Amino acid sequence: MGFLEHLVFGFSIALAPTNLLYGFVGVLLGTIIGVLPGLGPVATISILLPITFSLGPQQAIIMLAGIYYGAQYGGSTTAILVNLPGESSSVVTCIDGYQMARQGRAGLALATAALASFLAGTFATVVIAAAAPQLAEVALKFGPADYFSLMIFGLVGAVILARGSVVKAIGMILIGILIGTIGIDVNTSVARFTFGILHFGSGIEFAVVAMGLFGIGETIANLGLSEEGRTYVRTYSGLWPKPAELRAIVPPAIRGTLLGSALGILPGGGPVLSAFSAYSLEKKIAKDPERFGRGAIEGVAGPEAANNAAAQTSFIPMLTLGLPSNAVMALMIGALMMQGLHAGPQLMRDRPELFWGLVASMWVGNLMLVILNLPLVGIWAKFLTVPYRFLYPAILLITCVGVYSINTSAIDVLLACLFGFAGYMFNRLECEPAPLLLGVILGPMIEENLRRALLISHGNPVVFVQRPISLAFLILTLALIGVLIAPNLRSTRQRAFREKG
Amino acid sequence: MRLGVTMKAFRSIDFLTGLLFLALGGFVILYGSRYAMGTAVRMGPGYFPFVTSVCLMLLGVVLVVRSLLREGKTIENLALRPLFVVLIGTLAFGLLIERAGFLLASIVLAFTSRFADRGFRFGEVAALALFLTALIAAIFRFGLGLPIRMMPF
Repeated sequence: MGFLEHLVFGFSIALAPTNLLYGFVGVLLGTIIGVLPGLGPVATISILLPITFSLGPQQAIIMLAGIYYGAQYGGSTTAILVNLPGESSSVVTCIDGYQMARQGRAGLALATAALASFLAGTFATVVIAAAAPQLAEVALKFGPADYFSLMIFGLVGAVILARGSVVKAIGMILIGILIGTIGIDVNTSVARFTFGILHFGSGIEFAVVAMGLFGIGETIANLGLSEEGRTYVRTYSGLWPKPAELRAIVPPAIRGTLLGSALGILPGGGPVLSAFSAYSLEKKIAKDPERFGRGAIEGVAGPEAANNAAAQTSFIPMLTLGLPSNAVMALMIGALMMQGLHAGPQLMRDRPELFWGLVASMWVGNLMLVILNLPLVGIWAKFLTVPYRFLYPAILLITCVGVYSINTSAIDVLLACLFGFAGYMFNRLECEPAPLLLGVILGPMIEENLRRALLISHGNPVVFVQRPISLAFLILTLALIGVLIAPNLRSTRQRAFREKG
Repeated sequence: MRLGVTMKAFRSIDFLTGLLFLALGGFVILYGSRYAMGTAVRMGPGYFPFVTSVCLMLLGVVLVVRSLLREGKTIENLALRPLFVVLIGTLAFGLLIERAGFLLASIVLAFTSRFADRGFRFGEVAALALFLTALIAAIFRFGLGLPIRMMPF
């Protein structure tokens, strides 16, 4: 099948009434929860994950993807109206979006974000449809050694492009990997680290870790914050951009789209990095950079396009290689696993309807977002005014019920409680919990591929440099580490994340 | 003076994170010593956790040493009240859900958790608890059809 046939096939699935419905519900729920300050896509998806368990794999993944863009877009709304980033990739949108809102141009800022995101989403859909089959073809040739090196590359990339301390990020990955070893070892049937609890034999459910860390841990962290600085912008007018404004939006949106599409594919890349990069790019090429920070429309259009494009292209390594480039993709892999599916090149070969249906649904979801958000933005703004004292008991309850419903297991709730405690401690120790999630997902795969590779090579570690694909990934990994150690980039990296971090 | 500096180092987040990494790594190595190591060709169940823990402990050492060499941020603003109240609430939910059913567990969690923040008003919290319980029961039990027991009997 060619490129167009694939897309037509995908749309025939994405436009089926049930899939449309679940996509719509996902986008709607994602937006509602994503609008709430302090709840980013990772937390939103974690909390809503159990809702998808009773669905089939196709509906579940379409709905989760919908939740993802919804949360992403909801975060931008919050950033513009309240100057509180609902999620880290909206941090950049806060800078100029909120200034626009204060100048009475909130409507324009919201429309800019929506239109730029839609443009980016459309382009990224085409990128996925064009690039993914090729990549999957290559990935089918990967052996265990290649996978091992790929995952190490992915993890190192994730660490370098993540925020905060590198040492801590690696530590968090290792802790995640250790959590991933809990359960019966597939090779030897030995129950590892189960502490005699039968329930842990099948391993610790990934969703329990995510919901504990993000649903409970982040709630505690939010409760610990003071409520100052929450000035709400409630009035907005002039939602539709005038022709002149539209002309100002399109070029930065195109630049942001291209940048975001490229950065989204990188391991560790994704919405956050893309939004920051797009903002710096716009500032750099602007004729009058001093407008930035004072309500420059390019400062909204570029990053919003970039983060949406990256949000979508980060599905490429996840779907074709089984490699999660960020925590959201780790959650997607986890969700697929719970449906009994393994992300990777086999997915596209064995379940093409799942893959192409998802790709087409991304475009449909983006269209829904524009249709949904521009007229309904008044309602989202109302959600913002719900006091936190009503919200957090709801978040805790949904989390607890959700965790319980995964396996109808009360032990899971107690475990989530433990991870909630850990999550708050990590928050105070300034350890990002996202790398831990990557570790939990990738840990078992790394161990399995390491064992298999060494078994095939009779224990000779040379296998990792003998195979060209594996060697290439290892060289890339070393290059990444080299770049990391280079003092020049190190300071840029710190600056990039500190600039309103 | 010297002592003051050292005391501060003990409260630095780098130092505490390092200790955490060391403790976790050490625990896994000790507890995991019951699992066979095997060889690189045929790894036993203990091999991979051991190697991972050693790496984690090395990072812990790096953090501890770094925190002693240069002054960093110290840990503060531990919000103990939300921490304990939220944990107690979710713990209670976990202990009650199978013994007493969802309705009771949910109301207990909603009530308990509201003590994490200031401004507890009985009427308001009661209304919130009932509303959330009804809403979530409707979504999870009746909307999604998940097998959650509602009543204690």
